[in-house]
Amino acid sequence: MGPGLFGYAVRRLLWAVPVLFAISVIVFWILRLAPGDPVDTILGRHYDEERAAVLRNKYGYDEPIYVQYVKYMRNLFQGDLGVSTRHQDFTVSEVIWPKIKVSTQLGAMALFITFALGIPVGVYAALARGTFLDPLTISFWLALDAVPVFVAIPILQYFFAVKLGWIRLGWEGVWSPNIIMPVLLMSLPGVAGVARFMRASVVSVMHEDYVRTARAKGLKERTVVVTHITRNALLPMITVIGLSLPGITAGALFTEQYFGIPGIARESLAAVTAPDYDVILALVLFGSTLFVLANVLIDISYAIIDPRVRVGMRRG
Amino acid sequence: MTAAAIVAEESLPAAPSMKRRMFLLIIRKKLAMLAIAYLAVFYLCGVFAPLLAPHDPNEQRRTVEEVRQPPSSEHLLGTDTLGRDMLSRVFYAARTTILFTVAVTITGGLFLGVGLGLLAGYRGGWVDTLIMRVGEVLSGLPTLFLLLAITAAFRTRIDDAAYWLREHTWLGDDAKTLMQFTIIVGATVPFAWIGSSRIVRSLALSIREADYVVAAELYGASTWRVITRHILPGILPLFMVGLSGSMASIAGAEVALSFLGLGITPPTPSFGNMIADGAGVRTFQATPHLLLSAALPVVLFFFAWNLLGDALVDLLDPRMHRR
Repeated sequence: MGPGLFGYAVRRLLWAVPVLFAISVIVFWILRLAPGDPVDTILGRHYDEERAAVLRNKYGYDEPIYVQYVKYMRNLFQGDLGVSTRHQDFTVSEVIWPKIKVSTQLGAMALFITFALGIPVGVYAALARGTFLDPLTISFWLALDAVPVFVAIPILQYFFAVKLGWIRLGWEGVWSPNIIMPVLLMSLPGVAGVARFMRASVVSVMHEDYVRTARAKGLKERTVVVTHITRNALLPMITVIGLSLPGITAGALFTEQYFGIPGIARESLAAVTAPDYDVILALVLFGSTLFVLANVLIDISYAIIDPRVRVGMRRG
Repeated sequence: MTAAAIVAEESLPAAPSMKRRMFLLIIRKKLAMLAIAYLAVFYLCGVFAPLLAPHDPNEQRRTVEEVRQPPSSEHLLGTDTLGRDMLSRVFYAARTTILFTVAVTITGGLFLGVGLGLLAGYRGGWVDTLIMRVGEVLSGLPTLFLLLAITAAFRTRIDDAAYWLREHTWLGDDAKTLMQFTIIVGATVPFAWIGSSRIVRSLALSIREADYVVAAELYGASTWRVITRHILPGILPLFMVGLSGSMASIAGAEVALSFLGLGITPPTPSFGNMIADGAGVRTFQATPHLLLSAALPVVLFFFAWNLLGDALVDLLDPRMHRR
């Protein structure tokens, strides 16, 4: 990591600060702009002005919005994410971290399967270019991508749980066979996208001079495909992998809902509809921080791998 | 006939136009042809729903004999929980999907996406920086989550506005649908322009340097003329390809929101709220057609756009033609 690279990384990270600031202001503002607040939800049918005023005062909703924002940010920098109003008086940290953990474990498994299938499928399709096998392979995965999960879930649950009795529905922890179907539902639709990207990438390198040289040297076809074609074709894949990494923490709404998984996506929807201001804000900021960090990491890893990028950086 | 004209005439068949090349290549792709055929049927059914629908999509027949009936010659896709003819509702749901995608692609994709992309690419400088940074911030936000937040947050306000419109205008009961439609379009558009504007920007950057653009500028053509006559025609084909690839996800946003009850709500037919009626293991076990009749047409719609998008990307990517 040379001085140019280090400076580049610092500049990229510094740029993240105004981006995150803008996101926090926008979300804070949108939430307060909407009619109704958490106090309405807490009191529900027992609403009366006096108790509402007491609660608004307790949570600070009676103050001007910029005061609320400043207070929120001050607490945030001390590691205090605020309190949940939906789960009354649990702190936001207590509400979100266990659920993020569950969603992340499932999301990581699903992401691994998506790429473990998508990359070989893409290479296979690219090598089969010109034959009917190429469009057939890709279309098969595109068909899986076209079925919304909320359509697939009842059908699969009926066949595998009710009719065949192979699986049980319901949550028994991350390390139980019950998670096989949710994880497959989270991973298989994404295969088509990865495969298509990989296919395009392989096609663009498979006629390069170094591939022809490798073949001319008399190397085995297997070696040419794995070390000369696939390895070089994987380079642009860094962006795709990097950008999907933050997504694994977000959870999959429909899958969590229908398989009773105590994940963060369900909590997000509940927090949005409640509304539960501090939980929403914490989730959005958490998600965008990961997104921005992933972007920076991608750029840095490119700079490490591809020297040309580094040269461009010093000039710029 | 001058020599130049002869040369031009002779060279014509050797270099077929972009349109002709695309046409030939699509014909070769049988899957893409199937996809186009299905999309044509889908769009025709949606546009001519009032003429084609065998029944009134909202006519309820709540008797035991009429409710949740499996497909029959009278009701080709069966009837739903309120005894309404599902085929007719599918036609009208197709109409909802078409209206939504057209609204989003015109405002978000074409108007904002191409407009801002051209501006950023052709003008450059701080305009470019500003537009691209705003896009970066917006794409940093979790999209579906924000869609949910916006639609949920504005719900009561929408209901008030819909009520006012119903009382004070000729819209009547359509007012509610119109307001719901406006809010989901409004919530999708801010995210729909980013992808296409990036494509357009990078294309505009490269075309700006092309000889014919520089020549037009030297002749004193106005910025407007250069953009509309010289740059736009070079960009549109690729823009359409990008659009066809993202069509399924745009339409999918409405279906998912309506499924959750945050988009178009009954009685207005939408694939999302029809699928919601048939979802659930028990419902599927008892009356599978409730789910299948509603889901199949829209799943095929997504699939067809995916196939078409995939085929088109392949045709236009220059890297793909190198042998």
